[in-house]
Parts: sequence; C-alpha cells; structure tokens
Amino acid sequence: MFLTRSEYDRGVNTFSPEGRLFQVEYAIEAIKLGSTAIGICTSEGVVLAVEKRITSPLMEPTTIEKIVEVDKHIGCAVSGLMADSRTMLDRARVECQNHWFVYNERMAVESVAQAVSNLAIQFGDSDDDGGAMSRPFGVAILFAGCDEKGPQLFHMDPSGTFVQFEAKAIGSGSEGAQQSLQEMYHKSMTLKEALTTALTILKQVMEEKLSSTNVEVMTMTPEKMFHMFSREEVEEILGTLAPISKEDSLAGGVSTAREGVSA
Amino acid sequence: MSILAYNGGAIIAMKGKNCVAIASDKRFGIQAQTLSCNFDKIFEMGPHLYIALPGLATDTQTVQQKLKFRLNLYELRENRRIHPKAFASMVSNLLYERRFGPFFVEPVIAGLDPKTFEPFVCNLDLIGCPNIPEDFVVGGTCSEQLYGMCEALWKPDLLPDELFETISQALLNAVDRDAMSGWGARVYIIEKDKIVVKELKTRMD
Amino acid sequence: MSSVVDPFNKFSYMESGSQRQHFSPYADNGGSVVAIAGEDYAIIAADTRLSSGFSIYTREQSKLFQLSEKTILGCSGCWCDTLTLTRVLDARMQMYYHEHQKLMETPAVAQMLSTMLYYKRFFPYYVSNILAGLDGEGKGCVYSYDPIGHCEKSYFRAGGSAGALLQPLLDNQIGFHNMEKVTVAPVPVEKALAILKDGFISAAERDIYTGDSILIKIITKDGIKDESFQLRKD
Repeated sequence: MFLTRSEYDRGVNTFSPEGRLFQVEYAIEAIKLGSTAIGICTSEGVVLAVEKRITSPLMEPTTIEKIVEVDKHIGCAVSGLMADSRTMLDRARVECQNHWFVYNERMAVESVAQAVSNLAIQFGDSDDDGGAMSRPFGVAILFAGCDEKGPQLFHMDPSGTFVQFEAKAIGSGSEGAQQSLQEMYHKSMTLKEALTTALTILKQVMEEKLSSTNVEVMTMTPEKMFHMFSREEVEEILGTLAPISKEDSLAGGVSTAREGVSA
Repeated sequence: MSILAYNGGAIIAMKGKNCVAIASDKRFGIQAQTLSCNFDKIFEMGPHLYIALPGLATDTQTVQQKLKFRLNLYELRENRRIHPKAFASMVSNLLYERRFGPFFVEPVIAGLDPKTFEPFVCNLDLIGCPNIPEDFVVGGTCSEQLYGMCEALWKPDLLPDELFETISQALLNAVDRDAMSGWGARVYIIEKDKIVVKELKTRMD
Repeated sequence: MSSVVDPFNKFSYMESGSQRQHFSPYADNGGSVVAIAGEDYAIIAADTRLSSGFSIYTREQSKLFQLSEKTILGCSGCWCDTLTLTRVLDARMQMYYHEHQKLMETPAVAQMLSTMLYYKRFFPYYVSNILAGLDGEGKGCVYSYDPIGHCEKSYFRAGGSAGALLQPLLDNQIGFHNMEKVTVAPVPVEKALAILKDGFISAAERDIYTGDSILIKIITKDGIKDESFQLRKD
C-alpha cells in the first residue's frame, strides 16, 4: 500500500493515478494515533466516553478536554490533533449560535455536522494570498445531540465525510472497540446500559488502568441535555463495572509512541 | 412636530336619538411628559351646548374665554339662547380672524337645538372651516384611532345609555393606543331634560 | 429669462445655473394588513388597493405572500421594497430547506425576517410587515414588525396605512380591552372573520389608501383557505 505512493502524496489538490488523495488518507491514519472515544446512541439519549492519556504524573488531567459542549443540545468528542479540533469546534459553536440568532431555534445535529464538514473540506481551497489551509484537519469528531428527530450520533473524519451511527468508536483503540460495540449494541439499550457498555469497552481497549481521572463521560438526553459527568459520577459507574481478566483486554495491540502531538 | 400635538388630547362628539354626547380625555402634558390628569377640554356654552377645544392648551383656554365673551354679548344683545349652528359660525368667525396667525385648536361642538332639541355635532379646523356631519366628529392627537373606533361602533338612533357605551368604548380604546392622550376621561350625555356627566376610569400609563 | 415673457420682472430672482435634482428612493403605496390568531388557526387579510398619492395603480393587488403551507406574510408600504424583500425571503427559505432538509417553521421565519430587516438598518426596506401562521405545535401566531426589524409576537395586529384605525378596534373586540364582566377567551374563527371585515369596512371609510376589496387567507392544519370581500371603491 505505501509502496505506490511517490510524488502524489504531498499536494492536497492532486489525485494519484489510482484516484487517491494521499494527504487525506494520511490524516485518517493520524486519527488512529489519537486517544479512543466511544459514542453510543439509544432511544433515551446519547453517551460519549473518551480516554484521556495522562503522559506524565506532573500533568494536570483536568486541562485535557476531549468532550466539549457545542450548544446546550450538542456535545462533541474528538480524537486526533487537539489543536486542529479547537478550530473545528469553534466553527461548530459559531454555526450553532448563528443559527439561533437568525432563526431563534436550535440547530439540527446533522446541520452542525454539515457545517463543520464544510470547514473540513476547505483544505484544498486557496485565496488570493495562496493556500488558505496547507493540510486536512487531523481530527475525527463524534457529534452527540438531541433535536426534533431525537437523540442522534454522527461521526466525521478528516475528509469531511459524516455519517450517522448507532454506536461508533474512534482513535487508537477504535478497531477493537468497534468490534465490541457491534457485538454488544442493541436497539432497545437503555442509557444506563449504554454508559456501562461504553466504559466496559473503553476499559478493554485502554492501555492504562481506567480511573476517574483518565476518562471523560458525557450524556446527551432530551431532559437534561448536555451533561458532563463529575469525578464522583464517573467513579460511581466504574464501581459497577465487572473486573476484566487479562485475556479479555484488547489493549497493547496498537503502537504506543505517539503522545507527542495527539495526546 | 405639529404644535397641535404639543399638549395632547382626544375628543369625540356623537349624535344619538334625541340626544348627543361629547367626551374627552383629561390629560395635560408637554410632549411626552404628563403634568396633570384633570385638565378640562370641554366647556359649557349653554344649557344644551358644549364645546371641546383640543390642541395647544394655552389656546384652548384663550379661545374658551374669547368665545364666552362673544357668547355673553350675543345673549345680552339678542336676549335668547344661541342656536348650536349659530354658535358654530361664531367659532368659525373667531378662528378665521386669525387666518394667518391661528389659534392652534380644532374645536368640536355638541348640542341640542334650544327649540326643537335636534342633536347637533360639528368640528372645525384651526382656521375655522366647519364640518357638520350626521353621525360623529373627533379631534385631538389620536383622531385616526377615534375614526376607526367610531366608524365601527356607531349606528343611527342610539338611545342615551347606548350612546354612552358607544362613545366611551370608542374613546377608551382609542386613547389606549395614543401616548399623548388618556389619563382619565369625562363623558357628557346631553338630553332634552337632563345632562349626565360621567367620569371614566382609564389605564394611567 | 429672455425666452420667457415676464413684463413685471416678477421672476427676477430666478437665476440660471445648475439645480439640485432630488431623488427619493422610497414611495408610499399604502395598503393595510390585519392578522388574527386563534387556538388552531390564523387569519391574515389585506386590502387590494395599490396607490400613490391621489392616484390608484390597481384595485386588485394582493399584498399577501404565502411563504409555506403554514406561514403567510402581509406587506404594505413601499411596494418595490415589498417585492424585493419577499423574493429574498423566498430564496432564503429555499436555502434553509436544502441546508436543513426541513420546512421552516413560522417562529424561525419570524426571527429570520427580523434579522433580514435589521441587516438593512441604515437603508431599510420601507415595509410594514405582519407575519401570520401556525407554530410548531399548530397554534396560531402573529408577528408584527417595524421597517428595521423590531419584532413582536401577538394574537392580533393591524398594520399599514389604516393600522391606527384598525388596531384599537381589535384591542377592544378581540383583546377585550376596556370590557367589564367578560371572560377573556380566544375568539372562534367566524367571529374573528366578522370583526376583520367590519374593521376593513370602517377603515375604507376614512383611509383613502385602503379600499376596493380585501383578500383573506385562513390558515389551519388542513391547509389555507382563500376568501375575498368587496370594499368601497372610491
């Protein structure tokens, strides 16, 4: 696969003879270095759970923010280059507020994904001063939201493609986690079940031991809207999780040396 | 802004069956600032004759005094009560004398004929052009609102109590849509053998 | 002045030279709009006279614009601004439909109209707008505007050249203002229609910019029903 890439893997405006845009593919690869994030959509609401990589004991864990509120009714989990994700989430927030300003209503989750996608595919554009953006964003985003269509989960990758999911995992442990989600997800899942499922899977795919400091959890329900779990709430759920044996653990399959940029 | 709308005010007069009614608000203000809510704009000019003088308040009072003076002279000279029509002409004359430096009032007259007790309503512009219709006349800063109300509510041959209800509703709902009028109202129902004066409660904002 | 016969030198103060030509970008083409909303309906009506000064352009110009199955806009004022505004509105609603894959609801249209008007704060659309329709729950609603985007939600409103004549009547008959011993309740559609017609008849008596006929649109969940009603034509 890597052998065929030669001159065509530099520009973002040039297809390879096989019809591929390598920079975009590389960006998608970059996500697989990011920390794992899991989203599960149920009829009661959406759950997002993200691992936080604490790379140093001197690090202040609360300053790593991987789940953010975009609007009262939309929360996002990100994986990949955190700096890039700030730009995209800022756009999402601006679009939401602009929609409220013009239409005095909440923006639909799909529309927010569309708006962020419009930003994500601008990497090929150029303005008068030359290239406006030199590369695609190295970020994958899970959008969890509630609108008139009910609770929804959307996934977007660096190419700007966005797809609705019932359950989706992104980041380094995504392959194993997605497999587990497929096995464990069912349509009649309650929010509580989704919470334990998400954390159980996260526990399996994480290298470090799961604790209330290295995980972020959020629920999006029609009643409470965006709700970020406090340390105590996370601990309460972790207490209910069944201990997993060494064989069940899926961690360790993916490389480890990538904290530098993606954390 | 027109000097006619400097102090604010609203007036209506309406004909009924063998009766006539005239009503006004009680506000006195300077532009948007209200100074009093007991300012008379309707003046008795005879047992069955009333005139209302909406417009610039100082001219309201001056014109009232000048009219009273001329009316007294008329009654002394003629030794009889004035006919509403003649009174309207008197007002018209007084106003036209100041054709090029007018009094800023647009009078409304309501009364009954001293002999036949025929209802009479009339209004004039500030230089004395009279208008004598068969139904109602209005004046003041919310004349548009008053016209809208009167056109919809008035019908011929209203009895005194019906006339009171009609004129009151017309006045009240009109002044509520005008910032320069309101703050209390007074209604005169003029019949052959009695004149009833009623105070109306209005919203005071 | 040599070419003009002027024996008394009456116009001696007139001097030849450049003169400023004034152009006014606005016209007042008159027209009145009334909207009334009830529990499950909204009525909006406008007269059909289009005029300028003492002349009538047409006696049969609709001033109601159907924006969707549930929303109608009534416009009066400068007709050219009305045409532009409604075309831009239509375009914006199409864009919304394609961007969000759903029809715009009345409250959303109401807010958008407000921002559209405000964006022309310093060269406004000289239009008095009244928007009527059903909201997301199917309840009737009325929104009224000033030309620069102030928006107020209410249940009844009159606007345009005879707005001042019609509004106090609606306050009284629909809002039950200054009434004693009455139960304040939403009026049924038949009563609303009757008051509306009475109001227009009265307005046409005194306002020269209102008359000829009215066009009424009744919005319910089952669709929009049209009605027309003749007014005096002088």
